[in-house]
Formats: sequence, structure tokens, C-alpha cells
Amino acid sequence: MEPLAPHEKIFVDSEILDDENHGELACHECHGGNPDDPNWKTAHKGVVKDPTYPDATTACGDCHDEINEHYQKSLHVSLRPYRLIIEKRANPEAIISKKVAGAMNNHCFQCHSSCGQCHISRPDSVEGGFLDGHLFQRKPPMEEVCTACHGSRVHKEYFGEQEGTLPSIHRKKYMKCDKCHTGEEMHGDGKEYANRYEVENGPKCIACHEKIYDKEAKNVITHRIHKDKASCHVCHSQPYNNCSTCHVGKDKQGLAFYKTESSWFDFKIGLNPIQSEKRPEKFVTVRHNPVDPKLFDFYEKKALRSFNALPTWKLSTPHNIQLKTPQNASCNACHGNESLFLLDKDVVDKEKEANKGVIVPANLIPRKQKWQPK
Amino acid sequence: MNYARLISIAIVFSLFLIPSAPLTSQAYEDTQCFQCHTSAKKLIEATREIAKMRPALKSSEIEGEG
Repeated sequence: MEPLAPHEKIFVDSEILDDENHGELACHECHGGNPDDPNWKTAHKGVVKDPTYPDATTACGDCHDEINEHYQKSLHVSLRPYRLIIEKRANPEAIISKKVAGAMNNHCFQCHSSCGQCHISRPDSVEGGFLDGHLFQRKPPMEEVCTACHGSRVHKEYFGEQEGTLPSIHRKKYMKCDKCHTGEEMHGDGKEYANRYEVENGPKCIACHEKIYDKEAKNVITHRIHKDKASCHVCHSQPYNNCSTCHVGKDKQGLAFYKTESSWFDFKIGLNPIQSEKRPEKFVTVRHNPVDPKLFDFYEKKALRSFNALPTWKLSTPHNIQLKTPQNASCNACHGNESLFLLDKDVVDKEKEANKGVIVPANLIPRKQKWQPK
Repeated sequence: MNYARLISIAIVFSLFLIPSAPLTSQAYEDTQCFQCHTSAKKLIEATREIAKMRPALKSSEIEGEG
């Protein structure tokens, strides 16, 4: 993504006046300020940079009432999974809880989206800037919006930027994010989900690949045997990015910062930590997340007292799908191949307790097969 | 004579049906916001001034992948 010069970030294309839906809205109707003041310093008094966050009701809701009804519960706006994960690990004592909430506000909750930060500008977390002269974008552009934030994992994987990996087969077919992640999913459906894997209108491989279990389908036996046992990614994803540790704080100027240590590409199959009716598979791809018991030490040393309440290797759906992968080359490319599985030895000592439900015990690694499908 | 009168009344009424948007857009075009934010020259001058007044907004201590 090309960086924007400061003036480019706020340059308005005069074509906006031709927008039959938004061209009749004066700047100050959404942003405030004084449109008659020729001095830009005083004219901007009271200006709201993003009038769609945290509440878009006035700016967008009058016309887009259906979206306005639910968008506050969209995970991109509510960030509910962050909150739940930290709450589960955090020390519940009131005084500490308050410090944790402050830390989350300074760091975690800065990575959110809004109507404006998808359809008008790049998100604030990547330093903002109009997408196209403040012209309203019905579909947010993939690289300037979606992968601008989801960069270190989704972007690298989807575009095959890591040496030795290929771009996703979906990328080769010129599919953009919205092909799987629809506007309906992004805008929320009014339900409060604990994580993105629960979202009812989230992506489903089967929505496009609906015939894989049909009698006439290619590899039907393999697909039927593994149905609900292994996720699609177990057979079809390539190595993906894993991150380790994360420490947050404020520098001498009071600016928030984070530090993560090493990241590495790897492929690991673990036990599904959030097995459910919607995600019934026993085996899934798992990714190490950037989290650490000392994450909030800058604010409070005892902040994450229950760090082991959740695994640090999480269910993951890497965005680098291939039809043929080393692990699906034959049955025994995976069966009996210990190196593909997250074993006890792969997890650092201080995280073993947290990951005991994800680590694959030796007796659960599928045994080598003599039988091969035709 | 009555026929001509009817036509003139219809013309007068039809004037009320002409959309007022172009006039409104013209009005917005004349605001200080629009005049400045559609001029690269004015924005370059203003953003240079802002850069002198305001320190960096991003910490230089950020390290690693987010």
C-alpha cells in the first residue's frame, strides 16, 4: 500500500458534488466546523474527523437505517472478542480491572473500523487518508482497507509474500475479500458473537464448493472420510505466519506503542479449541498469537493473572489455500507425520498449561494407512 | 384565451418541480471547506504548517508485526 502525503490524505475530489446520494450533503453537516470562516485554524474548531465513530446514527443512519440498526455489534466495531479474551485472562480485582480497561483502550481498541474507515478513508490504525478524494466507495478496496489492517497475517498469506509459499488459489482467481466476507457479515446481524468463527453469515467454503460430497465429485471419498474430522485448512493451507509475545506501553511523549518479537511461518495441526456445531472438526490449523503474560506489565504487573485460561495457539483459517499441498499429496503425507502436528515439544514451557487442550497427544495422531483411495 | 392561460399556469407550476440540487451543490462548492480541501496548493501549505506545530502522532518505539 502506497503511503499518502499529508495533503493527499485530506484532498477532496470535486466530483463528490456529482454523487447523487452524498453530493448534497455539505461538509459541515457531518463534520461540524464553520464553513464560512476563511481561517482554517478557527474554521476547524469543533470538527469531527470521523463522524461515523463511535456512533454513525447521525451521519449515516438516517438513510442507511438497516445497517445502522446492527453495525454496533459488528466485530469490526465492537471488538467484542478482544474484550472477552482479555477479561477471561485478566485479574478481576476492581482496581486492576480498571487499569486493564485503560490499557486496552490505549492499545487494543485503537484497531477498530467504522463506516467511514472502510468506505471513505483508510482506517486510522494505518494512519488514515481518503481512499479516493472522499468519494464514497461502495466496496472498500482490499489493499487500502482490508489488508491494510490484516497485514502481517492475511495479506502475506493471500498474496504469497513469504518465500516458499504461493498466493492463495483464490487470489489467482482474482477474488477479493468481499467474495467470501460479504457486506452483511461486515455490517453485523445484531447478534453478539464471542469470536469470528461463530458469525452466522461468515465465510463458508461449502457455499462455493457445495458439490465436494456428491457421489460424482472428484476426491469424494477423501472428503467424506474427513468431514467434521479435519477442517478444510488442514488439507489445503500452506504454512502461515505466527507471531510471538506482545508488550504495550507509552513512550516519553505519552504515545502508545507495542513491541512484538519474532514471527515465523509454520504449519501446525492442533485439537480444535472451540469445537462447536458450526465448527465440529477435531483437527484444525492452529496459529500462535502475539500474546504474552507480561502484555500489560507497563500498567499493572498482575494484570493477566489467569493467562492460562485460554490457549496461545488459536484456531486459525489461513488465507493461503491451495488445491494440492504437501500434506494432502497422499494419505501418509499426513497420517503418522508428527511434524505437522502441534506436539508438547512445540510449545514453550511457560505456555504448556494454557495449550493443553490444543496440543495433540501422540496417541491421537492419525495412524499411517495401508489403504489408499483410488 | 382560456387555453393560453392554462398553459401559462402549467409553466409556472412546472418551475417548482425543477430539482434544486444543482443550486445546493453550487452553494457547497462556495464554502471555505470545499475551496480549501479541493486545492492541493492550499492543503500543502496548511499541512506543512500543521507538521511544524504538532509533534509526531506515532511512537518511534513500535517494534515488530502488529
